[in-house]
Amino acid sequence: MEIQDMLKMMRDPLGAPFFPVVFQVLLVVTWVLHIHFVTSAIGSSAYSIFAFLNKEADHLRLGRIAARLTPNMVGLGIVTGIAPLLFVQVIYDPLWYAANTLTGFWSVTFIFVVMGGYSLAYLFYLKGSKDGRLLWSAVLSLCLLCFAGWVMHALHAVSIRPEQWTYWYAPGGVIDTRGVIFHAYDIPRLFFLLPLQAGLGFAITLLFVAWYLRQRADADPVFLEWTANLGCRIGKTVSLLYGVAGLFWASAEGPEFGLTAFIAVLTFGLSVGLYLFFKSVDKQPIQAGAKAIGVWFAALLLVAIAREVIRTISLGRFDYSVANYPYIIDWGSVLMFGVTSIAGVSVVAYLVMVIYQAGLSADGTVSAKTERFGRIATGLLGAWFGFFLLVGLYTALFLQQ
Amino acid sequence: MYPIWEGLFVHSAMYVAIIATFHVLASHLTVAGAWFNLYIERRAVRENRPELYEYLKRSALGLMVFSYVFGAMSGVGIWQSTTAANPRGISTLIHNFVFYWGSEWYMFLIDVIGIIAYYYTIGRVSKETHLRLAWILALGGSGTLSLIVGILSFKLTPGAWLENGLSLAGFYNPTFWPQWLMRFAFMFVITGGWSLIIATGIPRGYFEREKIIRYAGGIGLIGLVIGVCLWLFWYEPTLPIHARTVMVSPAVVPLTYPVIITGIVAAALGLGLSLLAPQLQRRWIALILMALIQAAIFGAERVREVIRKPDIISGYMSSNQLLFNDLPARGIASEEANLKRDGMMGNLPFMPSPGRLSTNTKIANPQLEIGRTLVTQQCSACHNVSLQTEIRVVNRRFVLRSLADLLVARQRTTAAEIDVYIKAIQGFPYMHEMVGTDAERAAMAIYLEHFITQTYDNQATTISQR
Ligand code: HEC
Ligand code: HEM
Repeated sequence: MEIQDMLKMMRDPLGAPFFPVVFQVLLVVTWVLHIHFVTSAIGSSAYSIFAFLNKEADHLRLGRIAARLTPNMVGLGIVTGIAPLLFVQVIYDPLWYAANTLTGFWSVTFIFVVMGGYSLAYLFYLKGSKDGRLLWSAVLSLCLLCFAGWVMHALHAVSIRPEQWTYWYAPGGVIDTRGVIFHAYDIPRLFFLLPLQAGLGFAITLLFVAWYLRQRADADPVFLEWTANLGCRIGKTVSLLYGVAGLFWASAEGPEFGLTAFIAVLTFGLSVGLYLFFKSVDKQPIQAGAKAIGVWFAALLLVAIAREVIRTISLGRFDYSVANYPYIIDWGSVLMFGVTSIAGVSVVAYLVMVIYQAGLSADGTVSAKTERFGRIATGLLGAWFGFFLLVGLYTALFLQQ
Repeated sequence: MYPIWEGLFVHSAMYVAIIATFHVLASHLTVAGAWFNLYIERRAVRENRPELYEYLKRSALGLMVFSYVFGAMSGVGIWQSTTAANPRGISTLIHNFVFYWGSEWYMFLIDVIGIIAYYYTIGRVSKETHLRLAWILALGGSGTLSLIVGILSFKLTPGAWLENGLSLAGFYNPTFWPQWLMRFAFMFVITGGWSLIIATGIPRGYFEREKIIRYAGGIGLIGLVIGVCLWLFWYEPTLPIHARTVMVSPAVVPLTYPVIITGIVAAALGLGLSLLAPQLQRRWIALILMALIQAAIFGAERVREVIRKPDIISGYMSSNQLLFNDLPARGIASEEANLKRDGMMGNLPFMPSPGRLSTNTKIANPQLEIGRTLVTQQCSACHNVSLQTEIRVVNRRFVLRSLADLLVARQRTTAAEIDVYIKAIQGFPYMHEMVGTDAERAAMAIYLEHFITQTYDNQATTISQR
């Protein structure tokens, strides 16, 4: 069977329920959130270990903050991972399912690995981060989180190489149903995406934390200044390594897909851009917090697009393209998602505002405007149930015959 | 259509079941805990009782660490494991319901960000603000539950979706309503159980202790009675006849029903005790009660999954992950028809062509290998079909419905006998006819004979199923 026929056959006969390119955009955008949180989690986990080993007072103080950030970041990383997980399956189902069955054992083990990493991060935060006991739990947690990243990466690497699937599954025609072998990986790419982005994500987090906390009445300006400077220093160093890793990535994965120049220029450009950014703020890094977040998300978006280009080119070799993925417009889906988005986005926005504002003031006041918004958002969420039931009633009466 | 992942040591279906057990516990607690906390917090605000916040803070931390993120994680876990075990089933759900799942994702997001906000702002923001957060958590959790019910129930009763192909018709399907109501009713049983665990931890003599226990018993009992009535008078009668047949067949592990009934009886007794004699309620009773309720829920969830057999999506996709019916509304044709005529080998992406095997000089008997591939593809969804998914401890074997055991029990141990026997497996309500040519079935029989020898050559004396 030709690879392109195989890919066509593997696509779900139902097609996508909406324009496929919309799922592609959602996939790219939500993945940016995902990678931001998981890499920052790894960065703050690594730093908290360093801080407790180093034992210097400022480091210890910041290390405790990092230990507290880690599990929350992992939690958010998991939740924001679910969205791209949904969308990737809609338009790249042949890839995602082939990778997950070929690597079945690890695909299932993955979840235990993440749970372990997450629980241990919590254990360290709750029981260890006061006095630095249980450091092993932080170390083990970091290892597990990195291993989870490795599994994610291996799944992805398998998924973009359809020409090898049947060989991996059944070398010589004899099927292997264990799913224990990591059939494909690309270390420079992973090095770029995981440890280096962990460093950068954490540097950005430090700038942001310092910028945010400085607005509090009880802020300690000296410590925050130090924190922001540390973030800036980490940022400058890692952004250079970032470019070097990008070149390795280009030379490793580039030739395979004819994308050497593209990956090299993009990653090196990012590296230079980020370095210049950190350089430009190093006089007063504490002022740069909000801007840093913006710059960082723009950089991650470019990385996400680069990944998508690689996948698109790889599949293009076999005539598989999101642009010609079959679809229908399923209005029920659109209605449900549209209405839920209104309520969902409002409530999430309200919650973020509460966390943000309550953290800012020493006594945790939330502004009256936010409160008014909160009343409306909560009302929307309540009203959503009415919507949910009405659509159900309509369906039962008119569509169920 | 996809590679098969059989599982390693433990059968792939058991991975799903194990993760699902955990998920059921965590996720139901999330919703139940959120409602109970809302109730407590409302009282704290109304009656101006700051000491209750101490309890809320502890409970929120427990929920945050255990329920929320673990609930979400194990939810992803179910996903990963069903993807590995049965990708095409998930694919059908995704392509129908991705936007419903996307909607559920908003609710997830609300839950996870909400509990972080809730926990870190206790005692920091105004009481009204915090109460609003409690409301948001209760509503968000209920939203998650509501959305998943439509997707779950679709698999058993796709309803008019089979005719019109509309996602709404599949979502609000015939068993959606009773299951939706039932889940909310039983959720209050869990709320009751959870509150008992918490309330029995309050020091004795504390003036509200007995009252909260009594309330918890009352809420739980009402939920239980309504839930059981819904099951008996609405849910079960709505089930397709086929499902009711499978429900009482060997497909369901016999122990399941006693477990469910024990759970219901225990819940009735435990909650009744709280209602009538709250002063006698103890923490260990509450913990045992919760464990029994959980076991019952797990049993019920398994039954719900098993009674779909032999289909993944009832009337549409069989557990070999192939479509066995047309869906004209979506322009989809059955896949099995052609495969029955032309054979499986070489006609699906991951079924190697016989040519590849016969030219492989390392293989002594290509027929055996063809048979193994076919048996794996068609039977491994429900059966142990190789030593790879067997755990042997001394002379006990732990396997899921081993085909070797089943065939030996029927005294069909030679290829010829097996061939005849499996030609007719569609006579059992929980299996479909095998797909493929006569020659392919013969190859399967050859492999199964070999598998029986493999299994019993290892001299295991005691057989233990599941
Ligand atoms: C949808 C799930 C499912 C699939 C797929 C399936 N079976 Fe079964 N099978 C069952 C169940 C459930 C039983 C009952 C087990 C018991 O009696 O403990 C069973 C029992 C059997 C039995 C024993 C029947 C008896 O009681 O005499 C045989 C033989 C058998 N299966 C063969 C096969 C073969 C061969 C295949 C592949 C072509 C297959 N099964 C695929 C679910 C399945
Ligand atoms: C906490 C541990 C995790 C880490 C360190 C991690 C890391 C990563 C990395 C490095 C990638 C990019 C892989 C590559 O391009 O080579 C990735 C992609 C992805 N991750 Fe995660 N991840 C984690 C958890 C999760 C979880 C829990 C989910 C699901 C809920 C998830 C869903 C995804 C998805 C859907 C992609 C995109 C795959 C694609 O585009 O093909 N991740 N993750």
